[in-house]
Amino acid sequence: MATEEAAPPKPKKEEPRVGVYICHCGLNIAGSVDVVEVARVAEKFPGVVVSKDYRYMCSDPGQELLKKDIKENNLNRIVVASCTPRLHEPTFRAAIQEAGLNKYLFEMANIREHCSWVHLRDREGATAKAIDLVKMAVSRAVLLEEQVEQKVPVIRRTLVIGGGVAGIQSALDLADAGYQVYMVEKNPSIGGRMAQIDKTFPTMDCSICILAPKMSEAGRHPLIEIMTNSEVKSVTGYVGNFQVEILEKARMVKDTCTACGDCSKVCPVIAPNEFDMGLAARKAIYQPFAQAVPPTYIIDRNLCLNKGHVIACERCVEACLAKSIDFSLTDKTTRLDVGTIVVATGATTFDPTKLAEFGYRKFPNVITTLEFERLINAGGPTRGHLVRFTDFKEPERVAFVQCIGSRSENRGNPYCSNICCMETIKDSLLIKEHWPDVAIDVYYMDIRAFGKGFEDLYKRAKAEGIRFIRGIPAEVRETNGGDLKVIGENTLMQRVYDETYGMVILSIGLEPQEDSNVIQRLLVLNKTADGFFMESHPKLLPVDTPTKGVFLAGCAESPKDIKDSVTQACAAASRANILMARGEISVEALTPIIELDKCTGCGLCVKVCPFNALQFVGEGKGRKVQVIEAACAGCGTCGAECMFGAITNKHYTDAQILAQIDAALEVGAEKKVMAFCCNWCSYAGADFAGVSRMQYAPDVRIVRTMCSGRIAPKFIRRAFAKGAAVVLVSGCHLGDCHYINANHQTKKRVEKMWAELDRKGVRKERLQLDWFTAAEGQKFADRINEICGIATTVTAEEIQKAVAAYKEN
Amino acid sequence: MVLEKALPEQTHARYWRKPLDIDSQKIPRGKVHIIDVRCKECGFCIEFCPKDVLEKSDKYNRKGYNVVRVVKGREDMCVACKHCEDICPEFALWIEEVKG
Repeated sequence: MATEEAAPPKPKKEEPRVGVYICHCGLNIAGSVDVVEVARVAEKFPGVVVSKDYRYMCSDPGQELLKKDIKENNLNRIVVASCTPRLHEPTFRAAIQEAGLNKYLFEMANIREHCSWVHLRDREGATAKAIDLVKMAVSRAVLLEEQVEQKVPVIRRTLVIGGGVAGIQSALDLADAGYQVYMVEKNPSIGGRMAQIDKTFPTMDCSICILAPKMSEAGRHPLIEIMTNSEVKSVTGYVGNFQVEILEKARMVKDTCTACGDCSKVCPVIAPNEFDMGLAARKAIYQPFAQAVPPTYIIDRNLCLNKGHVIACERCVEACLAKSIDFSLTDKTTRLDVGTIVVATGATTFDPTKLAEFGYRKFPNVITTLEFERLINAGGPTRGHLVRFTDFKEPERVAFVQCIGSRSENRGNPYCSNICCMETIKDSLLIKEHWPDVAIDVYYMDIRAFGKGFEDLYKRAKAEGIRFIRGIPAEVRETNGGDLKVIGENTLMQRVYDETYGMVILSIGLEPQEDSNVIQRLLVLNKTADGFFMESHPKLLPVDTPTKGVFLAGCAESPKDIKDSVTQACAAASRANILMARGEISVEALTPIIELDKCTGCGLCVKVCPFNALQFVGEGKGRKVQVIEAACAGCGTCGAECMFGAITNKHYTDAQILAQIDAALEVGAEKKVMAFCCNWCSYAGADFAGVSRMQYAPDVRIVRTMCSGRIAPKFIRRAFAKGAAVVLVSGCHLGDCHYINANHQTKKRVEKMWAELDRKGVRKERLQLDWFTAAEGQKFADRINEICGIATTVTAEEIQKAVAAYKEN
Repeated sequence: MVLEKALPEQTHARYWRKPLDIDSQKIPRGKVHIIDVRCKECGFCIEFCPKDVLEKSDKYNRKGYNVVRVVKGREDMCVACKHCEDICPEFALWIEEVKG
């Protein structure tokens, strides 16, 4: 499966010649860290030949400086102290590669996100920490070895999860580029929210009229296979080689269905139609809406009278001339191999029942914007007539209330839902277009008309006589005959308003899908604080996710309008295309090497490997373990488990990590917190704290591993032997591990270590375990402050006791 | 209002309004006729009625069985699927389809 890029590296036993470069990053680093001093101190570190500070290392001249120095000073290891390796490691790796060095001979010290940005007002502490971080990086760098990356093929097929406008666009783009696309949709038809909407802003196009052609194009496309009424059940594998299981729930109607509707006429069960927001009824056998793709009818199995194997009612079967209804159909699980995955799972709407003051559900004439869309739609239950629910008459005055469930810290969601202002403006203009005599008031907090053509629409609305009143109502009350009183304060006029309307429309915000946790777990994604999926980088990798080969499109990432969803869908398709067009991808050289003479064949590593990448060879006493390179993802939990030192994890060797610990704790260990963070969640969480400038105490020193599963008990013991006050082990939340479940091993090991500390009389509080997501910057900062607080309570005697207990380490 | 009752008891919490077109939806309705004397209290019809229209009564028939009866208040729920007719081993009940 895997092919080698080149001949194996020749073992070079040359003296390390390290070049150290301290980046100012303008004032981002130099503002709080004395970079000149750091560079001066670093010059004395063992192995360092060149040590310089430079304004912007990532700039072209900065990279040129690297290349020039490598040639002139014959450097063979490079340390750049700048931002997080999650941002610029690839940049510098490419630069040293151009200068003829193997890219694995590069190490980064994160003195921006983990230092200058989180200690903005502590120049002394930040400088001391930066010196330590550089020292750790240098001591690791001298032990770095050349590695050869393997190339694995990328399967040229893709999975699109979600069949809304974003999913459809991604699928069409990728299929048109020539890749096989599988589209999985939870609902019986593709189309998503856009299919429900009447008109789109700012151009007032008919929504379904522009969407339906795309839906049927996707349905017809020879390279798109649409799986509706389906869910993703499991995802395994890695970029380029995902194995996915899809559960296709039986429709009970075969695709020979002609969509004539005869079955629906005779069906004796009625239910509210979800597509019409429950404003119209449907039968238990139904078509979600006229333009549905696939057009095939479906039986709602929760409602159908036939349960299990008991066929009580056969009216639909008898009515169907095409003989398409088959109650013997069963759910089907399909296994797919795909190279890339696009997540376009969309969003759901806020339920305003929670905000009791607006009287939704209490007063029939209080409706949501989504109900309004169906009400005003010519294909909707009232054939497009604006009527209120109490008397089915056209209201004389209508009020819109903005920001329902949005921009509120304690009730609803804190974020702006992006679309509601424009939706209201569009809806009010639609009313004016058909019923010019209806008076419309819009109660708002701020009108956000920021997009192309949005302001024009807003101006048009004002010109049409729609009143915009600043101040969200405090209360909506029902008066005679279903009329509604809207009471609140006009904050611009500082005057109380008390107006009567025939209908109040609540402009509801968007929320993450209720079941987005399932997708999050399956694909090991992160979520931002608002619950939407987190992108790899908010500016430069806006559709990538931390899981390579998985891309985001549409409202799954954040609330957005149709245009933005489509734009992002095209971007996601293009990113997936890049991977698949190349056809192969190099995987990082992080696999373990097993020294057969030390391996006893005990099998501990085989047990903990989440990927089944370790296998036994031989039998009985001669039993050994071997690595299946293509299956290994490089978490390193095998190395942490091996008791015989038989496993060397490439690029994260024991020696390298121990050297970092030693360097971090060389001076002033008794005050320091030795932290171990996994690359994907907790290290990224620390980066997020940095980007958000969340200040915390400067006594923490972070060692990065790919997974918290790599953190061996011997690292913890060494930290205590060197006199660390507190040790923090951190990783992704249990269940969110990027290596399936390797962090469960972390938990087990830390629990064992607690027992050991107890036996040795070391306070258990001095070993901390916590989980952070990449979005939990605030939690990270708070916890570090708390742990640094614990560190100050550790006495010199306690430190000495632990040092004595672990001195042989 | 009969049709409103025909809505499933547990509609999704999100869709709580009475559908506007509910009165135009046609649902078949049935009237249950029970021949008391034939019923042997096997309970098949009660067990398999998909709309839970039937229950055991405390009335004894001539043979000494508690005969089946229509649940009070659910008389309008029968949709005339006639499954009870099919499964009754004693031909003790039949459904008359109500027109209109």
